[in-house]
Amino acid sequence: MFPLDSPWNISFAGCGFLGIYHVGVASCLVEQAPFLVRNAKHIYGASAGALTATALVTEVCLGQVGASIIDVAKEARKRFLGPMHPSFNLVKIVRHVLRRTLPDDSHHRASGRLGISLTRVTDGENVLVSHFNNKEEIVQACVCSAYIPVYCGLIPPTLQGERYVDGGISDNLPQYELKNTITVSPFSGESDICPRDSSTNIHELRFTNTSIQFTLTNLYRVSRALFPPDPMVMKAMCKQGYKDALHFLKRNGLLHFNGPQTDRPLLTNREDEEVAEEEQDGKRREVKDQLLVEGKALMFYGSSSLDEHIIEYLPPTLHKALVEACMERRSLVQSLGNLLPVRMASVMMLPYTLPLESAMSLTLRLLEWLPDVQEDVGWIREQILKILQCVLRQAFRSFSQNVSARLFCQLELRHYRSLPSKPSSTSLFPTWMNSSGSSVQDVFVRLDQYKKQLLSGVLCINMDLRGSFKTGMTSPDSSRSFSFFQQDFNSRSNCLNVPHDGKPGKPLSRSKSFW
Amino acid sequence: MDPTASTGPMLNDCETELETKRSWSSSLWSWWPSWRPTSMSLLKTAESKILTCIQNDLWARFVTLPNQDRIWTLSLTNKLAPKPADQASKTPLVMVHGFGGGVGLWIRNLDALSRSRTVHAFDLLGFGRSSRPPFPSDAAKAEEQFVDSIEQWRQSVGVENMILLGHSLGGYLATSYAIQHPSRVAHLILVDPWGFPERPQSQTQEGQSEEVVKRVRPPRWVRAIASIVSLFNPLAVVRAAGPWGPGLVNRFRPDFKRKFEDLFDDDTMTQYIYHCNAQSPSGEVGFRAMSETLGWAKRPMLQRVHLLPSSMPVTMVYGALSWVDSSSGDRAAEIRGNKAHTKVRLIDDASHNVYADQPDEFNKMVENICKSVD
Repeated sequence: MFPLDSPWNISFAGCGFLGIYHVGVASCLVEQAPFLVRNAKHIYGASAGALTATALVTEVCLGQVGASIIDVAKEARKRFLGPMHPSFNLVKIVRHVLRRTLPDDSHHRASGRLGISLTRVTDGENVLVSHFNNKEEIVQACVCSAYIPVYCGLIPPTLQGERYVDGGISDNLPQYELKNTITVSPFSGESDICPRDSSTNIHELRFTNTSIQFTLTNLYRVSRALFPPDPMVMKAMCKQGYKDALHFLKRNGLLHFNGPQTDRPLLTNREDEEVAEEEQDGKRREVKDQLLVEGKALMFYGSSSLDEHIIEYLPPTLHKALVEACMERRSLVQSLGNLLPVRMASVMMLPYTLPLESAMSLTLRLLEWLPDVQEDVGWIREQILKILQCVLRQAFRSFSQNVSARLFCQLELRHYRSLPSKPSSTSLFPTWMNSSGSSVQDVFVRLDQYKKQLLSGVLCINMDLRGSFKTGMTSPDSSRSFSFFQQDFNSRSNCLNVPHDGKPGKPLSRSKSFW
Repeated sequence: MDPTASTGPMLNDCETELETKRSWSSSLWSWWPSWRPTSMSLLKTAESKILTCIQNDLWARFVTLPNQDRIWTLSLTNKLAPKPADQASKTPLVMVHGFGGGVGLWIRNLDALSRSRTVHAFDLLGFGRSSRPPFPSDAAKAEEQFVDSIEQWRQSVGVENMILLGHSLGGYLATSYAIQHPSRVAHLILVDPWGFPERPQSQTQEGQSEEVVKRVRPPRWVRAIASIVSLFNPLAVVRAAGPWGPGLVNRFRPDFKRKFEDLFDDDTMTQYIYHCNAQSPSGEVGFRAMSETLGWAKRPMLQRVHLLPSSMPVTMVYGALSWVDSSSGDRAAEIRGNKAHTKVRLIDDASHNVYADQPDEFNKMVENICKSVD
C-alpha cells in the first residue's frame, strides 16, 4: 500500500515523443484515483514529462494533449528527413499548442505545485522551477525543458532572464529519490509506473536518474524518443501507459480507494470531468468490478485478456481524440503521393528541393527571430568571447605544462636518485601566464622575460635540490623531506621575485600515485 | 606497496605475496601504462574499505580449490554469542552474489545475519577477487564449471550442510547447485533470481490486433544492433572506456552509491563495482555463454525446477519494483506442486538489489527462514 498519510509527489520522466505514454498514465490516474493527482503535493516533470505534468496541474483535457502530441509526431513524420528537416520547427509548434490549450489562469494553479526540471546553460546545474508569474512563463518553462540542444536549435531560450536547455540532461526524473514520489517512465526499468518487458536482462543503466533496463524494446523506445513512430504505435504506447498505471494502482490498493471525500464536489464541477463522467456507461463500471474480482490471478497469468478490457475501455474522451488523431486523411493527393514512382521521384528530387525548402524555412525563421535578434546576438557574442578566452587559457596552460614537463625530465635525469618525491613545477609559473594576455606582442615580450626567469629558476632549483638531498637523507620520511624541499624552494623563489602559488596537495598526491 | 591496503580487517593474509608472484609472469607489459585504472590491489583496497564496517568476527581468506583456482571467502561469526558451541552447531548460511558484484555488496546484511549462525560469503569464480579462469563457450559446460567450483569450495571449507542464498545470477547457480547436490542444501533462498523464465517463442500471438504486434516486434535494425552488441561481453564498454570507466559507472549506476550512502559518503561503492568488473573478463564470459540475446537464459531454470527434490524448502524473494518478474516464482511454485515447500515473497519498495534497498526487512526475512531450519 502506498503511504498516503504523508505528502506525496508524482514525477514524469523526460522521453521526447514517448510523452504519449505519460498521457495514458495521467488519464488513468485522473480517472481511477483522482485524489492521487488532486492531493499530490508536487507534480514534477522533465522535457516531455513537463508537458504532461503541466496538463495535470492545470487540469487541461488529456485527450487534447494526447491528440496534440500525435499531431506533432505526424507533422514530424511528414517529411523525408523527419524531425531533422529544416522546415520542422518543434519549438514553435510546442509553444503554439501550449498557448492554445493552457487556460489563462494556469499560473495560479501551477505555482507551487508544478515543478519543471531545467538545465541552466551557464553551469550545467539542474534547476526546478515551480513559481510562475503568468501563463507565458509556464509556456516558456515547458519550451525550455523540452529544448534539446542541436535537435531543436542552437540558441537556448530564456526564462526569467536566464538561458536554459532540456531538463533531461541534468535530471530526467526530478525528486525520484524521495520515498513517496511516484515515478513514471516509459522505459522499462525500476520506476513505479513503467512498462514491464518480459525480459530477464541483468543490465540496467541510469540516464540522469531514469532507470533503463537493457532490452530490445527499450532500445527501440530510446530510438523513438526523438524520431516519432507511427501514430498507431503511439496510440498503443498511450494504452500501455494506462495499463501500467492501472497495474500500479492495483498493486498498491489504490484502485477503489476514494481518498478524502471532501473534494468530491470539486471534481464534478470541472467541465472535462463531467464529459468523461457522462460518457461512462454502466457497462464500464461492471467491467471495473469484474476486474477487481478477477484480481491477482489475472494480473499474473491472463494479462492478455486484461489488456483487451483496457484497450476497449480507455477513457472515451482520450480514446476518441486518439482515434481522430490517428486517422489519416486519405485524399487523392495523398494516395497519389504514396505511390512508389512518386515517392521515388521525390527522393530523387531531394537534392534540388531540399536547398529550396531549407532556404524558405530559413528566411521564415529569420523573420520570426527578428524580435529577439538583439538579445540573442548579444548572448552569442558573449558566448564566443567566453569560448575564446577558455581556448586561449587552455593553450597557455598546455604550453606551460609542456615546457615544465621538459624541464621536469631534465631535472629527473640529473637528480633521479636525489629526489625523494617529484613535485610538479607548474606552480613555478607566475600567475599572469594563466590569465590570457591582451595582445600578441605583449605575450612575446612576456615570454622572453619568462624564459630568462625560468633559466635562472633552473639553476636555483638545482642548487636547492642539492640542499634538500641532504635533508632528505637525514629524514627517511619522504613527505617530510618534501616539505623541506618546499620550504627551501619557497624562500628561493621569493628571492627571485617569482610570484608563486604553491599547491602542495596536488603534486603530493601525484607523486604518490607514481610510486 | 599501498599503505591503506593493509589496514583492512584481514591483516595477516599472505595473499599479497602470492599475488605479486603470480603477476610476475604477466608483468612483461607492466611498463606500459595501463589503459584501465584498475588492478587487483585497487580492488582489494576498495573492498577492505567496505569491510571495515563489519563488527562481528571476520575471517577473510582465499580458499584454494583442487584445480588451483582460488575463491575469495568471508566467514563471519558472532563474537558476542552467548554460546559459541551452539552457534557452531547451526547450519551455516552461504551467500552467492549476482552478476558483476562481489562479497562487498552484502555489507548491510553480513552483520545482521551472522548474529546467530556462521555466514559464508564468497566471490563467484571469475568475479570479484576470485581467480579468473577461462570459461567454455558452451552453456551447459560454463554452468557446470560454476557449479563445480561451488561444490569444490564447499569441500575445501568443510561445510556439510548449508542454507544457500543466491541473488540474481547467483540464484540461478544456486538452483543449479541444489539440483546436482540436493543433500547439501537445507534451504534454498533465491533473491530476484535470473534465468528462470523461458524465452517466449513466437512473439506474434494469435488474436492480437496489428498495433500490438507492431509494438512488440522491434524493427529489424534494432535487432541487428542487439545481435552486434551480444557479440561482446556485457561489460566490455566499461573496460573499453579505460580511464573514463569509473566515471561511466558513476554516471550510469549512481543508484549503487545512493543505496549505501549512509555507510559511505564517497564513491567507495561505485569504485568497488568498477574494480570488480574492469579486470579481465572471466565470469562474464561464462555468463555470456549461458545467456542469449540480451539476457535470456539458454537453459531456463523453469524447465528444470522439477528436478529439485520436492522435500527441499525453497523461498523466492522478489523486490516489488524490480524488473525481475515475480510471476516466474509463482510458476516455479506451481511446477513444484508442494505449496508448503515453495514460498514466494515480495519486498515493497525494493529494486533488483533487494538486500541493499530494504536491508532490515530482507535480513528479518532471511533470519526467519534460517530459524525455520534450526
